[in-house]
Amino acid sequence: MTLLDAKLVSMRFGGVVALSDVNVHQEAGETLGVIGPNGSGKTTLVNVITGHLTPQNGAVLFDGAPLLGRKPFQIAAAGLSRTYQSVRVFSELTTRENIATALLDAPRPLPSEGVAETAEWLGLTPRFDARAGSLTLYEQRRLEILMRLVQQPKLLMLDEPVGGLSSAEVRATINLLSELKARCTIFVIEHTMKVIRELADRVIVLVAGEKIADGPPAEILSDQRVIEKYLGSVDA
Amino acid sequence: MNVLTSRWLPHAIFAFAAFAMPLVFSGNRYFAFIVGITLLSVLWATGMNLLYGYTGLMPLMFAGIAGISAYVTIGLSAAGWSFWLAMLVGSIAASLVGIVLGLPSLRLRGFYFTLCSLVIQSVITLAFVYFVNLTNGDVGISHIPLPELPGGGQLTGTSYELVLAALTVIGVVVLTLLVESGFGHRLIAIREDDGLAETLGINVTRQRLAAFFIASLFASIGGALYAPYVGFVSPRSFDVLVSLNIWLMVAFGGRGTIWGPVVGAVILAPLPFLLQDYYMIKDVVYGLLIIGVIVLLPAGIVGGWKRKAAAGEPAPDVAQKTAPAR
Repeated sequence: MTLLDAKLVSMRFGGVVALSDVNVHQEAGETLGVIGPNGSGKTTLVNVITGHLTPQNGAVLFDGAPLLGRKPFQIAAAGLSRTYQSVRVFSELTTRENIATALLDAPRPLPSEGVAETAEWLGLTPRFDARAGSLTLYEQRRLEILMRLVQQPKLLMLDEPVGGLSSAEVRATINLLSELKARCTIFVIEHTMKVIRELADRVIVLVAGEKIADGPPAEILSDQRVIEKYLGSVDA
Repeated sequence: MNVLTSRWLPHAIFAFAAFAMPLVFSGNRYFAFIVGITLLSVLWATGMNLLYGYTGLMPLMFAGIAGISAYVTIGLSAAGWSFWLAMLVGSIAASLVGIVLGLPSLRLRGFYFTLCSLVIQSVITLAFVYFVNLTNGDVGISHIPLPELPGGGQLTGTSYELVLAALTVIGVVVLTLLVESGFGHRLIAIREDDGLAETLGINVTRQRLAAFFIASLFASIGGALYAPYVGFVSPRSFDVLVSLNIWLMVAFGGRGTIWGPVVGAVILAPLPFLLQDYYMIKDVVYGLLIIGVIVLLPAGIVGGWKRKAAAGEPAPDVAQKTAPAR
């Protein structure tokens, strides 16, 4: 079943073309990875799909309904949730209050046993009464995911979920995300190839706003054009 | 029941003080008047706290909205309406006008909202001066009578102060209930990070609009009550300095706490009256107080006290800081 279908999306900022005729298609249950150099339009793509930006051209269907023109809060209510590249939690509020805030306007809120179970799974239960700003980056990243999961999204778009984490934490996050695949469909932007290689069922490559490749990770990561334009000799 | 009493205990103490003060000073009209103005200031500061303290918007058109309500109420009362009905209509009308004027600004945040609200306040003040047939312009309207009770019977100074006390207490209770509701939690989320709030499904514009309307009702009811109490209004009664003064009470006492703005108003509202004999140093004392609070207690008196209390406890996360759970 098609969950997300973005067709011919073009986004320009003045004279700068951030996305040009990008097609993205994602099946329910399929983990889609997005890679590309800095400034290639990965985050812009997420911003367009989640209603933060209005593209000049294109159409986005989510779960069969058009998304363009709808506001971010309406898109969130439709079951499409996203995280941010730089971690974003309500730092002055406690972990518990952050979770409660995520539940306020969730159309299908997770029942409280489910919230407790998910928090336990993410290892955040002992931190419930701590101010979110006092959590470590790794804890904040998990809190971000927890705040999305209590809304039971159909699609979760993660923008660099392991950015800034240590290699041990990256390892642990990959394990968490691979378990997460059983709970909701994941769309993930990453620079860390390990994450893409282990998690993604399919990968798309954006370079300068254009999609240059789309396929299974093994095939894409050995594709000569992708290596030339993005990976080079370095494999993180 | 015990929990309930302890939770509402500060409110009960405040209500007792609010009703007792006008009676204590009923023999001295000067002091009683200071009490009345202080009660009005508490009501205004409480309303502004909903926007400045809980939603993160600094509404400099606050006094202008109070003024619209005051003029509408005066006009309708003069046309023979009951004061209370006029106050109700005037308050709702002023809040609606405030929303229409504020609509473009409600999409803005932080400094840009403040700047826009300053422009709106200036436009309202100019309108008060310009529409002479409605407001009597810069000359102002004097000899505004105190209203009668709905059942008949003229309100006197002390009984009107008890009405002020009642509405102020209601205002503080309403703010407490709002802040503890889901609506209040949405506002706090918007104050902390409106983009994140929106991503989590909160309709930020609608919640801001609702907060703006409710805060405007506080401003308006205060404005309608102010006019007959002082007996005189002019465009200067509702200019930007009045907005700033109310803002100062909120910031001074501690924004985003129920009791901070109350404390701020109780300290700052009587000050100009008490320092009247020392008018040479009045502004200096005022300025020193502001600087002192900003430097020593940036979160305001109550906010700073709360932070100190929290810092005194052992930090809850230190002991638990072990290896990540996974």
